[in-house]
Amino acid sequence: MSDVADTRPGAILKNNLWTNNPIFMQILGICSALAVTNLLTNTAIMTLGVTLVTGFSSLTVSLLKKFIPRKVRMIVQTLIIAFYVIIVDLVLKAFLPEISKNLGPYVGLIITNCIIMGRAEAFAQSNGPVVSFWDGITSGLGYMGVLMMMAVFRELLGFGTLFGYQIMPAAFVRWTIMVMPPSAFFLLGLFIWAGKTMMRGEKT
Amino acid sequence: MNKEGTIYTIVFVFIVSFAFVFLLSLTNQATIEQVELNQEIVRQGAILSAMGIAAEGSEEIQEKYGMVATDPDAGLSVATVDGQLVYGTQFAGPGLWGTIEGVLAITADLREIVGIEIVSDNETPGLGGRINEPWFKDQFRGERVAADGIDVTQIAGDGDPDRANSLIDGITGATRTSDSMEAIVNRELQRLQSVEIQQILRSLESQGGDA
Repeated sequence: MSDVADTRPGAILKNNLWTNNPIFMQILGICSALAVTNLLTNTAIMTLGVTLVTGFSSLTVSLLKKFIPRKVRMIVQTLIIAFYVIIVDLVLKAFLPEISKNLGPYVGLIITNCIIMGRAEAFAQSNGPVVSFWDGITSGLGYMGVLMMMAVFRELLGFGTLFGYQIMPAAFVRWTIMVMPPSAFFLLGLFIWAGKTMMRGEKT
Repeated sequence: MNKEGTIYTIVFVFIVSFAFVFLLSLTNQATIEQVELNQEIVRQGAILSAMGIAAEGSEEIQEKYGMVATDPDAGLSVATVDGQLVYGTQFAGPGLWGTIEGVLAITADLREIVGIEIVSDNETPGLGGRINEPWFKDQFRGERVAADGIDVTQIAGDGDPDRANSLIDGITGATRTSDSMEAIVNRELQRLQSVEIQQILRSLESQGGDA
């Protein structure tokens, strides 16, 4: 994590997508990684929501940081995050009711996603608004990347489809376990293992 | 002014909360009509689906729902589906964590369930929440109703294909939700037999309802 202080946009992108990926390296946001990754469409909408919320929360925290008293700092951050999450929830309910129903309580639970709070506290508190926004968006994309990869495996093996389109032949026996939450534990473990091994290879 | 002082902190939190809540109220006001319309379409779609009337998309749902005779206050609807008179009734009953709402459709002689549809529930996702899954709901289609109603019991965990035994395969790991479904459906069957409800159904029948 030597380049955390590097605030050039390219460095932030690489850091958040790979070297310091919120899921691989920081093991943050795991609950939603288990819950929503059995269908690609749901995963895409959910992670898009997280990405936007992270970006705009970081932007807002950064804009307000001079005015926020230290002792209520985290409460105000939570308020800002909750604000954006409720907006996402309302928009989904109004314009994508089907997906809103599928995601159920998980949209509201974006508030508790540690990545958002983590970026607000670790980055936006001490950096300018534009670069904070970028940091939030790229952190969200790092999260999205890993979850989408998991969803590809889970939907393909669990339902034989991708984005709802039949991929596997009709005779394909579905892996029921892939639809259930435990499979996300196995996949996530394998992903973290693979990711860390590749990173170690890069260093030497 | 001292930024870390108590007065500043209180005023700041008040202003920030007010501003964000105000913006949220505006967004809520802007979307509330659409959200209510969506919920109404979901409700109408559930009634049609339980009664075995195929309808895709919000326009077709609204169009076909117009052909069903309904009494929204009593939560009752009547339609003729494939030459057969079908009653639909909206139910709400206690599940494990919260209220389970849905629609039960039954033939006019109250002897055979036509279908069931869940509108909303708060059951555990992956366990009780599986009452939303087709394998569970499809078991109700064409199921005979015994004198004492139906029975939801754990059998094999993948559905009970026998339509004559008034038996529904429950959900493994969700016994309380399965029991709730049994209680809700049986209570609804009881309700349909009451004189008051039968009168409403008769008057809806006379209004027609030919889907």
